[in-house]
Amino acid sequence: MNFKRVAALLLTGAMVMTAVPVYAKGDDVTLSVSIWDSNQEPGIKEILADFTEKTGIKTEISVVKWDEYWTMLEAGAQGGSLPDVFWMHSNESERYMSNDMLLDLTDKIKDSDLIDPENYPEDIWGLYTYDDKYYAVPKDIDTIALWYNKTLFDEAGLDYPTADWTWDDVTEAAKKLTKDDGSQYGLGMRNDNNQAGYYNLIFDNGGYIISDDKTKSGWDDEKTIAAMQTLEGWIKDGVMPSLETMSENNEDVLFEAGKIAMTCQGSWMLAAFKENEYTAANCDCVELPKNAETGRRASLYNGLGWAASASGEHTEEAWQLIEYLGSKEAQEKQAELGVTMSAYKDTSDAWAKSADFNLQAYLNMMDDMEIRPYSKSTVTWENEDNEILKGVYTGDITMEEACKQMADQMNEKLAEE
Amino acid sequence: MAKTTKSQARTKRERSEFLWGWLFILPTTIGLIVLNIIPIFQTIYQSFFKTGDFGKGNIFIGLQNYQKVFADKEIWQALINTFKYAIVEVPFSIAIALVLAVLLNRKMRGRSVYRTIIFLPMVAAPAAVAMVWRWLFNSDYGLINNVFHVHVNWVSDPKIAVFSVAIIGVWSIIGYNMVLFLSGLQEIPRDYYEAASIDGATGVNAFFNITIPLLSPTIFFVLVTRVIGSLQVFDLIYMVIDKSNPALTKTQSLVYLFYKYAFINKNMGYGATIVVVLLIITMILTVFQMIGQKKWVFYN
Repeated sequence: MNFKRVAALLLTGAMVMTAVPVYAKGDDVTLSVSIWDSNQEPGIKEILADFTEKTGIKTEISVVKWDEYWTMLEAGAQGGSLPDVFWMHSNESERYMSNDMLLDLTDKIKDSDLIDPENYPEDIWGLYTYDDKYYAVPKDIDTIALWYNKTLFDEAGLDYPTADWTWDDVTEAAKKLTKDDGSQYGLGMRNDNNQAGYYNLIFDNGGYIISDDKTKSGWDDEKTIAAMQTLEGWIKDGVMPSLETMSENNEDVLFEAGKIAMTCQGSWMLAAFKENEYTAANCDCVELPKNAETGRRASLYNGLGWAASASGEHTEEAWQLIEYLGSKEAQEKQAELGVTMSAYKDTSDAWAKSADFNLQAYLNMMDDMEIRPYSKSTVTWENEDNEILKGVYTGDITMEEACKQMADQMNEKLAEE
Repeated sequence: MAKTTKSQARTKRERSEFLWGWLFILPTTIGLIVLNIIPIFQTIYQSFFKTGDFGKGNIFIGLQNYQKVFADKEIWQALINTFKYAIVEVPFSIAIALVLAVLLNRKMRGRSVYRTIIFLPMVAAPAAVAMVWRWLFNSDYGLINNVFHVHVNWVSDPKIAVFSVAIIGVWSIIGYNMVLFLSGLQEIPRDYYEAASIDGATGVNAFFNITIPLLSPTIFFVLVTRVIGSLQVFDLIYMVIDKSNPALTKTQSLVYLFYKYAFINKNMGYGATIVVVLLIITMILTVFQMIGQKKWVFYN
């Protein structure tokens, strides 16, 4: 009897012990790193390995898909268990910064030999600055270009798009590339493709999305509406697949299947198009078209930042990692590996050579850039915009009505911030 | 003397049983309290607040969230969607599972193979199930459209998308319901069927006059749990219906909206209000079912 009891106790004890995670002791620090893009994982892993070799600090990377990433981060922030080092995005950064969730890097950057704010685009610092304090180091920069399917252009007997194209040329070509039986369309631009899609049209035409002081929506601006009516024209002309089709198979999938001949895509899509045999053989990219009247060719841009948890146990080591990731050496390597364009000035030439496409187009787009519109509640109003825009695709409302509705809801949400 | 020792021994035994009994249910009870019961009250509490970022700076706003919920067309549409889903999922998953259970309760070749096959969807991860069906339903490249040479937007036509999702729901739950029915069927004594067949009852007669009445407690249990389960549908819709899908407003369920407001828009207070409303609706429906059972459920 007694023996049984003792045995049971021991077993229970053993179970409890194994349930408690064993923490690394002493100098053996392992930093947890979180990102959301699995396309970038292999390259980032290589850079992290270099870091471990240099400093002896180990890292453990986890990739969580975009939607779940923010749910995870939110829960981590609230429960005090954020990853040590992670990606930040302009959609969410202000909420995290204003609530002191991120490690303040201002003094550390001031003392650093490796990081000089001068070497990165000012607007990207702007995304991760709050009350004049830095909360993240720029990781990358992205611009937009027009992708086209050479084979489909050849079949239709059309010349390939050039840097001199205007959006009207796109419309003309799209009409010729669309087949009546629905087996092929000229163009694809989904209701939620704002940054890579219609935002560019808007800025080309002199419109805007959000005022500089983040208090007013630009959706009801005449120039914004006029630019969006180009998109409405494409919907009405039937040069794009139906929204039903595009929602089931996103633009990039349709493009990879040769079902659409043109699509506007961000530089972050390179990894996917490079890996895909069809796009690698048949497709290429070129600078975005210009606006025929204003002559402007703007590209929306954005950049992620490497941030650290303010409540982490290893903030010193986390800073070392961030400093390394932002350094010229790591930024160059990131470009060379073709992970993404890098935020560090003049390191992206290596990226342009990392694949057999005309990637110089993306670099040329850096001549005239507009930062992706954001405010504290970007996600909320952006999702609502996308929801309203669906009505234009399904023909329930006109673009003008949609723009007015989007302005109203956005102003309402900005007032609540 | 002997008597007292005996009674002492009994109390000792009783005490020990009492102690061990509680000890054994303690882990479950703690889990239930920590993971379910406390959060329920926290959620109700939160629904009276305009919640700040990361749980900080909550402002008490009384019933404002509730006023907003009841005035919100999106919520009412979601309620209709949820009911549409339940109206397909519950009856079909029960009826089909019941018929299958009766057929597979007989002695036949390959019985366990069939049972396993039908139960398998239950073992598969819901996300995986949803991904496979999403491909089957795909309007351009999907198997269903290609085999039958039709072009139906199964999951992106606002009129039918919610029913397509319900079909997936039925498919994935049938096996589980069937197992419950099978265990219920084992309880029914064979004598009834023998007596009935001597009296000249056909299989169909026996099914309606013996099987269903005697199985009614199990059917009732399955009905109540399925109604609750289908009102909570989320994962299928989340996985199958993409955010840019034009059918989203006509398919999103209440729990989907809860997710949207609480975790995407980070408005925890409003999200909490939505689930409290769902909780109340579920409770009302369950009470009606409890009252209704007196008319058709037979307990031996």
